[in-house]
Amino acid sequence: MINLHWVILLPIVFGTVVKLISIKTAKKIVTLFQVALLVSVAMIFVHVRENGTIMENIGGWPDTIGITLRADLLASAMVLLTCFLFLAMVIFVHNKHYADHLFLFLFLSLESLIIGIFLSNDLFNIFVLIEAATLIITILIMYKKPNVAIYDGLMYFLINVVAMSFFLMGLGMLYKKIGVLDFDALKTAFSLVKDPQSLLLPYAFMITAVSLKAALMPLFSWLPKAHGTPSAPSVVSAILSGLYVKTGIYVFLRLQTAFSPLIDTSELFIILGFITAIVGFMLALAQKDIKLLLAYSTVSQIGVIMIGINLDNPVAYWGGLYHLMNHAIFKSTLFLTAGMIISEYKTRNLDEINGVFKHMPAVGVATILSILGIIGAPLFNGSISKYLIASGSSGTWIEYGLILINLGTIVVFIKYGQLLFGSSGKKEAVDSDILEKAVVLTLSILCFLGGIFGSELIAILFNIDLTVDLLSYGIKMLFFVGSIFLGLLIYRGLFKKSNRLAFINSFELGFNGICLSITLFFAFMVIYLKITL
Amino acid sequence: MIALNGESISILLFFVGVYGLIARRNIIKSIMSISIMQVAIILYFISTNTVPGSVPPIGDVAQTLQVADPLPQALMITDIVIGIGVTAAGLTMFIHLYHRFGSTNWQKVMKKRNQHD
Repeated sequence: MINLHWVILLPIVFGTVVKLISIKTAKKIVTLFQVALLVSVAMIFVHVRENGTIMENIGGWPDTIGITLRADLLASAMVLLTCFLFLAMVIFVHNKHYADHLFLFLFLSLESLIIGIFLSNDLFNIFVLIEAATLIITILIMYKKPNVAIYDGLMYFLINVVAMSFFLMGLGMLYKKIGVLDFDALKTAFSLVKDPQSLLLPYAFMITAVSLKAALMPLFSWLPKAHGTPSAPSVVSAILSGLYVKTGIYVFLRLQTAFSPLIDTSELFIILGFITAIVGFMLALAQKDIKLLLAYSTVSQIGVIMIGINLDNPVAYWGGLYHLMNHAIFKSTLFLTAGMIISEYKTRNLDEINGVFKHMPAVGVATILSILGIIGAPLFNGSISKYLIASGSSGTWIEYGLILINLGTIVVFIKYGQLLFGSSGKKEAVDSDILEKAVVLTLSILCFLGGIFGSELIAILFNIDLTVDLLSYGIKMLFFVGSIFLGLLIYRGLFKKSNRLAFINSFELGFNGICLSITLFFAFMVIYLKITL
Repeated sequence: MIALNGESISILLFFVGVYGLIARRNIIKSIMSISIMQVAIILYFISTNTVPGSVPPIGDVAQTLQVADPLPQALMITDIVIGIGVTAAGLTMFIHLYHRFGSTNWQKVMKKRNQHD
């Protein structure tokens, strides 16, 4: 087993060193390196699962003085997912001309930073890593044609910097009150704090930034432009939407756990998650651009994950985390296939793409498997995680809310699924790159395996036993079949002929608007905490 | 009456920056507002929890009674570097944006970008 800091350092070191080798060999070496990294991370994961949390103080300093890395079960499972997805992406770009030395360097650095965020045990480290990741992502989303996308890139960059300034201000206030920034030390210190009012401002500052990172309801306007921008290569969109948003949720989870003895806002975040999910699918329905549609659907799924992890119920909590992993798999598949479809059809307009099934059979199969995953069809991974979240919330309004959200997701993906059928008007069966096809097919088959072996996978990943009750699962699936028919009716009746929600697109927030919404969210958090504490 | 110390001034400065972000449509002013926010944060970190008359934690301070807390200062060196990087990257991107769209106004740039789509 290698030390934790090597897992973070090695990708950056490798990304720099391969600059010396010709690009063809470099890609092969990077692929081999990713396999080796995946194996060593898997060994760390097995070690954590058997022997408990690993702590490592870099430089041999005593606790709370130096930088501490911490790999508990959740962190190491997330690192495993990161390494797996990056391996898939590196194989995917193997024959792409845009993947040059600089791209590999940036891409591997992003991997390092994401792993670093998952393993950090220190709030200031998380700040530094997120700030560096913001810069790298900005360059990556403008990678193919910087001129067109410079507005998207600058917006993404400045908004995230503003949010992280809020985070750092909160951190300063927290340091003033508590005097430590290490998660373990915070836990001990918080148990001595008598008056939760004194932590109101730091919490409000930090949770505002983290909510923006996780793209919650009023603060998600930056996400679709960044994830769905035409200039980003599809691997970058896949990593951003599949994985990078999850770092926001992960930091949110860490903060909530640390503050939980003093400040409990889970009810507020269930409602915010619910609104996020509803608004997300409404906006997704209004889109014509396939990448933007997928990006807004990410917003909607984040709402579902937030509902899951904030419900005060272990089944829903683990269901939410399993949904987070599942979403990483199916959303990255959808973005990769969308990228392949766009490069074949030379358009991103949903109305102009037809007959993907006949024209590109492998891409069609991968798309339909991952669509079945995201709408929660029986036997697919989405159904297991959505079932767990719903059964954790049974008897409350949330259970019915989740059915509504799933209905919305179904309508969105019935709309998206239109591109599969019909005739493309081109010659039959195009020959696309074999590696690309292999990657998307493997990922989409994982959606299916994640459904069949759902409870076994949860037992392996999170070391917790959750059995799926067949009777209630069957009832949920009846609801699902009902929603499919209702969804088809809604789509045929309302959205097939005309885009009835297109007017939503005209409410686009500019930079000032987004900054205003950050400030309003912050003010709202302060007032809410003032009233409830 | 709020005392006029580093802490209150830095909070004031922070919200001056936030005001600039909300109320100014000039992109350069937005980047400047972010710099103001960063300066406010740096001031906040190094001025809280300091006792008047304390010595900076540099060199041999074994004989000194009052030594300032070294951790915020170490953190702020990192943040100053990040702040320079962020401002430089933001301004570089702004130059490209200006060449492309020919405006420093967020609203106009947004309109032109949407026409392009």
